[in-house]
Amino acid sequence: MATSDKKLIRELEQILGKQGVLYQPQDLMLYEYDGSVEHARPDYVVFPRSTRDVVEIVRLANRYQVPMVGRGAGTGLSGGALARQGGIVLVFSRMNRILELDLENQRAVVQPGVVNLDLTRAVEHAGLYFAPDPSSQKSCTIGGNVAENAGGPHTLAYGVTANHVTGLELVLPEGDVIRVGGKTVEAPGYDLPGLLVGSEGTLAIITEITVKLSRLPEAVKTLLGVYDSVDDATETVVEITARGITPAACEMLDGWTLRAVEDYVHAGFPRDSAAVLLLEVEGLREAVEVHAAEISDVGVIPRTKLPATLRRIDEIGKSFGFQVGNIFHAGDGNLHPIILFDQRDLEQFARAVATANEIMKFCLEMGGALTGEHGVGMEKNELMPLMFTPADLDLMQRVRGAFNPSGLLNPGKLFPFGKGCGEIRVRPMPVSANAPGVSA
Amino acid sequence: MSSSPTLAVARLAELVGEGHVITEPTELAGYEVDGLQPAAVARPGTAEAVAEVVRFAAAEKLAVMATGGRTKLRIGAPPRGYDLALDVSRMNRVLAYDPGDLTLGVEAGIRFADLDRVLAEKGQFLPLSPAFADQATVGGIVATNSSTPLRHAYGSTRDYMLGMEFVTGEGNPVKSGGRVVKNVTGYDLHKLMIGALGTLGVITRVNFRTFPLPHAQGTFLASCESAAAALALCRAIARSPLQPRLVEVVEPQAAQILSGGRATLPAGCWSVVVAAAGEPGVVERHGAELARMAQGTHAGAFAGLADKEESALLGCIREFPKHVMEFCPAATIFRISVLPTQMELLLEHARQVAERSQFTWAALVRASGIVFVALLPTAAAPLDGETLRRLAQAATELIRASSVPEIGGRPMIEWCPLELKREVNVWGPVRDDLALMQRLKKVFDPQDIFSPGRFVGGI
Repeated sequence: MATSDKKLIRELEQILGKQGVLYQPQDLMLYEYDGSVEHARPDYVVFPRSTRDVVEIVRLANRYQVPMVGRGAGTGLSGGALARQGGIVLVFSRMNRILELDLENQRAVVQPGVVNLDLTRAVEHAGLYFAPDPSSQKSCTIGGNVAENAGGPHTLAYGVTANHVTGLELVLPEGDVIRVGGKTVEAPGYDLPGLLVGSEGTLAIITEITVKLSRLPEAVKTLLGVYDSVDDATETVVEITARGITPAACEMLDGWTLRAVEDYVHAGFPRDSAAVLLLEVEGLREAVEVHAAEISDVGVIPRTKLPATLRRIDEIGKSFGFQVGNIFHAGDGNLHPIILFDQRDLEQFARAVATANEIMKFCLEMGGALTGEHGVGMEKNELMPLMFTPADLDLMQRVRGAFNPSGLLNPGKLFPFGKGCGEIRVRPMPVSANAPGVSA
Repeated sequence: MSSSPTLAVARLAELVGEGHVITEPTELAGYEVDGLQPAAVARPGTAEAVAEVVRFAAAEKLAVMATGGRTKLRIGAPPRGYDLALDVSRMNRVLAYDPGDLTLGVEAGIRFADLDRVLAEKGQFLPLSPAFADQATVGGIVATNSSTPLRHAYGSTRDYMLGMEFVTGEGNPVKSGGRVVKNVTGYDLHKLMIGALGTLGVITRVNFRTFPLPHAQGTFLASCESAAAALALCRAIARSPLQPRLVEVVEPQAAQILSGGRATLPAGCWSVVVAAAGEPGVVERHGAELARMAQGTHAGAFAGLADKEESALLGCIREFPKHVMEFCPAATIFRISVLPTQMELLLEHARQVAERSQFTWAALVRASGIVFVALLPTAAAPLDGETLRRLAQAATELIRASSVPEIGGRPMIEWCPLELKREVNVWGPVRDDLALMQRLKKVFDPQDIFSPGRFVGGI
């Protein structure tokens, strides 16, 4: 990608001041990675303070024809916040104000840089909280949650981020500011907030978010189930569902993972078990008591695809020579297989990517989806043709074109990279040339 | 239709099968939309046949409207054209149902009532609970974003719809979303189809998350002397730890109308209806706490309803628009999305508008954020010029009053006489997001063949 342009830097500094623009290689390095295994170095990093700043940056990017990528805390797991084709990364850490709390109507209006858990902390005195709870909630931002449609353990009962967003302020790539949705539960017209949430920064830059606040439950009970086999654990989940109980959260750790966790944080997991289930039931006291008792009673009755899926994942890992650990949202079947590899070893890295792709293909064959809460980004984009037909992808790309005709917003994400007219390639991501620790 | 109607009908019969094309004038009348009748109705049996018909229509530049149970064809602005009805009611199968995974995939033409029975056999349900429940199809419920009283606990369609298959204006069958409970892969194009009135595509399959039927249910009723008292009670419930399934306020005139529909509601009162569900202890707790809350306000006491009264009342609330239009065929029913704290002021505006224009009015409040207001002209359709003038003025005033910043409502007129649609924009004020909607319409339906003119801003 183009190296930094002195004129563009000067113009960015005029908008944001010298404190608001980074372009030295040693500064840019801090923004070349996120929570994924991918790397991509931006040419510029900027820190807008207002929607107006964003508009001016966007107009400038358009004039210079450089890509734009939004970034919150960089905790994402699919490379969504990486400047794959270089360009400007807009970091929202200075747009981190809660603009309005409307406790009676259970709404908050926030800037995208507000940290997820900070919103809950600001409203819990009133018995309210922001329900989406990704594992990174102490550091991840609501803007990032919106871009990736983040989930978390409690999405089983309360849904992903999209279920909690009612309105957005957008800056379109030409610099127009548009509001979609609002504080009300619905509005006549197409559900634009529904489309924008989870669009991974490819349709617009989001500068303001209106979210629902949920009421904290009166009672919460956490249960730990210990199992001799992973199958027993997963089958228990199925039986709980069949009994009409929806736990607020239902997490499973397999034996390998729970021992790793135990060694690190000493949570009290039994080291000799093959799997544990962590279940949370919440709501009114009367419901919590009954459900907790009923979960404790549940026997083991095999059904559905979860146990077989986990066995197959284990086999795939072994066939590539890897240990695969599993920690996952068992209640809604959202798996997080963890492949253990040394990223400094390029051969191992390539093998790990191939393993991941193989697991994804298998999950799709079982009727699953590519991503339950992390986004497609640049990690799974080449796999999209396995889930969607050329016609499906073509329509999505034309929707992107309707918002982002120049393609300058977060290029190289979500869609298969090399896709030209009708041609779709299915192959693993190329191995990154600048993996850490590898000298060229 | 096209220059050679006979040829076109013959071609349609090839695509959907002999006997599945309707051209009989008496039958076509049943597909009328705002005074227009199609030249033909095609009744495809598969998604592939839907795509074929749409490709044919696109080539011939025919204006197409998808239909199902035909209970909500009156919603929307009058269409600019209407050549062909695409009736998907033959596509009424359950394609996939896995109660253990809480997932369901159905064809768009399945009737809600039939689907409800299939789910109930497995102890599950979908919280759609639409008006015209006996005839309404899943595709139509989604396309009109039919409001459900159960949104209080379960949210709206967008919250439990997992994915969809539909046919675009170019006749391409596409899908978005998936079949599993948790999935954030790709753009959620299916959300755009909710409430889009068929302007973006013809829905052929919808995937949902299902819910377990509660072990117990109870419904409680309090009678309040004013809107203020009733709404204060709703806000108190919202602040409490209670998690009711449904909280509705029935205004006195609406109570009288629903009482005609066999619901038992006290005369002259603002009734607060609360349904609780879950474990028996949860239902009891709701009864006890509601009784306590009612004491603390100016509301009358909450009383539990017997099973029979309960199902009659909840049924009448679900069928509110149907009962109102049976009571008053020229009824003009506004659907206004508004924050709970602004509901009282909105209802006061509605009362004043009705009084000034000398119409009787009725209202139903969905405490989670929707107010239905009905203006009830006594004149028979078609409305005489004077009544129409008064109704148009009242409608304009109510739309303006509900959209002012102090109220911040998002109004639309869901049901009204055709004459009024020519005077008032039923979709309410145009906003700056219209440009984005127009761009999307061009992507999904570049030739503008789907329901032209029926949607927001003339889309």
